[in-house]
Amino acid sequence: MITKLVAGKPGLARPLSIVGGVLLIVGALLPWATFQLNIMPYPALSTLQFFDAPFGVPGFRLHVMLLGVAVIAVAFAPAAIRGRTTKALGWGALAIAVVNAAYLIVEGGGFGTITSAHGAFAFGAVVSAVAAVMAIVAGSAYPAAPPVTWDLKLAKPLEWLVLVLAYAALLKVVADTLTAGGRGGAANPYAGAVFLSFVAFLFGVFGGLNGTGLLRWVSAVAERHRAFSAVVLLACAFVLPFTEAGTEQWIYTATNIGVFAATAIGLNIVVGLAGLLDLGYVAFMGIGAFVAANLSGAASASLGVDLPFVLVLVIAAIVAGVFGAIVGSPTLRVRGDYLAIVTLAFGEIFFKAAQNNIAGATGGSNAIPGIPPLDFLGTPGDAAITVFGAELAGGVLYYLLAVVIVALVMVLFANLKSSRIGRAWIAVREDEDAARAMGVKTGKIKVLAFLVGAAIAGVAGAVLVHRLTTASYESFTFLESVTLLSAVILGGMGSIPGAVVGASLLFVLPEKLREFSDYRLMLFGLALVLIMRFRPQGLIPDKVRRAELAGETAEGGSLKEAEERAVAEQERADDERLGRTGVTEGRS
Amino acid sequence: MVTLLQQLVNGIVLGGLLAFITLGYTMVYGIIQLINFAHGEVFMVGSYAALATYLWALPSGIQSTWYLALPIVILAGAAFSVLVAVIMERFAYRPLRNAPRLAPLITALGISVFLQEAVRNFFPDGTRPKAFPEVFPEGQLTFLGVTVPASGLLLVVMAIILTGALQLYVNTSKLGRAMRATAQDPDTARLMGINPDRVIVLTFILGAALAGVGGVLYGVHYDNINITIGFQNGIFAFTAAVLGGIGSLRGAVVGAFCIGLIKTLAGQYMPGGTAYDYVWIFVILILVLVFRPQGFFGETERVRA
Repeated sequence: MITKLVAGKPGLARPLSIVGGVLLIVGALLPWATFQLNIMPYPALSTLQFFDAPFGVPGFRLHVMLLGVAVIAVAFAPAAIRGRTTKALGWGALAIAVVNAAYLIVEGGGFGTITSAHGAFAFGAVVSAVAAVMAIVAGSAYPAAPPVTWDLKLAKPLEWLVLVLAYAALLKVVADTLTAGGRGGAANPYAGAVFLSFVAFLFGVFGGLNGTGLLRWVSAVAERHRAFSAVVLLACAFVLPFTEAGTEQWIYTATNIGVFAATAIGLNIVVGLAGLLDLGYVAFMGIGAFVAANLSGAASASLGVDLPFVLVLVIAAIVAGVFGAIVGSPTLRVRGDYLAIVTLAFGEIFFKAAQNNIAGATGGSNAIPGIPPLDFLGTPGDAAITVFGAELAGGVLYYLLAVVIVALVMVLFANLKSSRIGRAWIAVREDEDAARAMGVKTGKIKVLAFLVGAAIAGVAGAVLVHRLTTASYESFTFLESVTLLSAVILGGMGSIPGAVVGASLLFVLPEKLREFSDYRLMLFGLALVLIMRFRPQGLIPDKVRRAELAGETAEGGSLKEAEERAVAEQERADDERLGRTGVTEGRS
Repeated sequence: MVTLLQQLVNGIVLGGLLAFITLGYTMVYGIIQLINFAHGEVFMVGSYAALATYLWALPSGIQSTWYLALPIVILAGAAFSVLVAVIMERFAYRPLRNAPRLAPLITALGISVFLQEAVRNFFPDGTRPKAFPEVFPEGQLTFLGVTVPASGLLLVVMAIILTGALQLYVNTSKLGRAMRATAQDPDTARLMGINPDRVIVLTFILGAALAGVGGVLYGVHYDNINITIGFQNGIFAFTAAVLGGIGSLRGAVVGAFCIGLIKTLAGQYMPGGTAYDYVWIFVILILVLVFRPQGFFGETERVRA
């Protein structure tokens, strides 16, 4: 509504965004809370005391200030990038202001906390929010420009350097995000606020960088040096335990994220590529987990066999894959959406069977405890190790294993996606009848999607169960399936980085937001609805899918224009043909 | 023999209950080809709305006279279910009418989780099962050693009356004709002056009203409700709809009774007993999908509505 007021008045845009930026800085410097909160001081000293030391303050107020400076700077940047960048920065600042204001209101007991109470005034949140809205409005007032792309090609070593720097920055971001706010809980009530606020800042920054075209350029560079960037990315993942996130707790979290990210990529094959909704996916993970538990040599397992882990992984993948093919088999005859119910039913059957200790293989309500740690060339997986003189926390080896698994699954996904099979999956997703008409064996290809997805989940489950040391049916509920599906949808269907980002967010959030644990699933449900409504392509959309949803071709052109071109060509061809027939008719 | 008869009676009662949900599934699928996962939750929400009405809105004089309390809680449950379904249709499904098929399916799942969790979080002490009040006399009929609880009789009679009424409405009324026309061919229906949005909302309303009534009668018959009743019975009802031929009203009712009987009989006679009774339902579902995806009455005669 407000954006309509300024639409078509580009003259207003620059003054408005400068005022917005200045106000953001002012808002960051103003006090945010009228009194010291009871539980403990709000992070970044957001009470009146802030004036004792106005600079050198970390935390969300620094973030707001940085975004404000960026908004002002962008007002003088080349015209093409102003609109998108300003808008993204504004949204980031608004999210920070809203998150912190909401926490202050809830913890402080009313709106007085962020306005005035007991003769004290604190309008930092209000001013920042208003300023952020101004920036957003200014962003949409700038004349519309197509997304910027940089046609910049550097010498090979320079491009390599760019990639190294980019991935190092990414590593820093990941480590900071993991540790932001610390672990939530009674001792640390503001963990959720700090974390969410940090994520909001990152969204602002990444959105802004995307607006300048830098991210697109970096990803184009990465595309030019695929092998090199894969190596650097892998190296960065291995370096994570050496950063501030290298404590046992965060490495544990990172391992979980890795395992679930691998599973989410597997689910992405089924949902994102083949377009089949699988609501019992976690059951395949569970099958892999129980297979591994029974072959681990755990004293409580009914099958006291101890096989080498690599062999166990293969067996888990095969068993889960066979189940996947069985569950997927009804799709041979019916449309994919019935499958949602079949998979849901399968998930429930698995849960019930595991609960009732079917064939003595799952331990029932006693679970299978005491699974021995994995043996990494003589070192038990949960031991602390020393590398290059640096003492690394326990569980690092599991983390490395998870990284390797994620990397392998990513390679598998990327190769499958661009293979004949992957294209067949996408064809089935888009239009089953058309795909069949083009000679795709739709039944087989759908079952294959299920088989591959299930096998990946089986492998992930086998790793997970060693990390947890207990295989219990309670880890594999329907709601875990929903969480995994949410991760895929949130990140973007069919997109690899999307699945990883989605899984990371959804499995880190519960660590940070203990006080919201009751509402977690409710919010996931709501998120599924809202994403489907407002951003069906997800956070990091797959290129082709984004193009489809935006009505564009994969190259970024307008789909409508492309269609018109195609129609015009067809008409010309028809005319030629008809023209010839017309001539023949005239002769006869 | 007595056990068999008793299980048959139990199965028929369960079938009557499932019929209330199945009809909503099948009607919505018939019109917009959407598996409305959240339909089971609409049933559950009706049950909780009736409980809330009874506990906090009815004066104790009415609470104790069942012939006043029962109609009131049934109406309240149905009304709330309808409200939820209309909101859901308006804000979650309608904007996605032209989206890829997967989108509304995921939305439906999201709503299902949301409704279930919302009741758990916001209904006082919602995590624990709730005792449903006595709004119907406790009596029972005994016949050849088989006991038929009065509430079960009520459930089956209501199911038969309401499904009959629905059948009549869809087959004879003007709006019913509009529904059938939209189900057959939405575009042509629009050309004939039918407003598809209105028809779709009406479909959701009819389905939700039945589900709401079913939710209340579930509480009356089984004395206990919890937040998962919608999810479980929703899956059974969906299986029933597939078995009967999705899109067919007659098939939905027949399928519901079949599933009710299968569940109780399998719980009695199949290996694994009641712990695995619904595994057999899913086995049936998979077999139907593989060998006769159109179910009993689907597709071949296309009595959709």
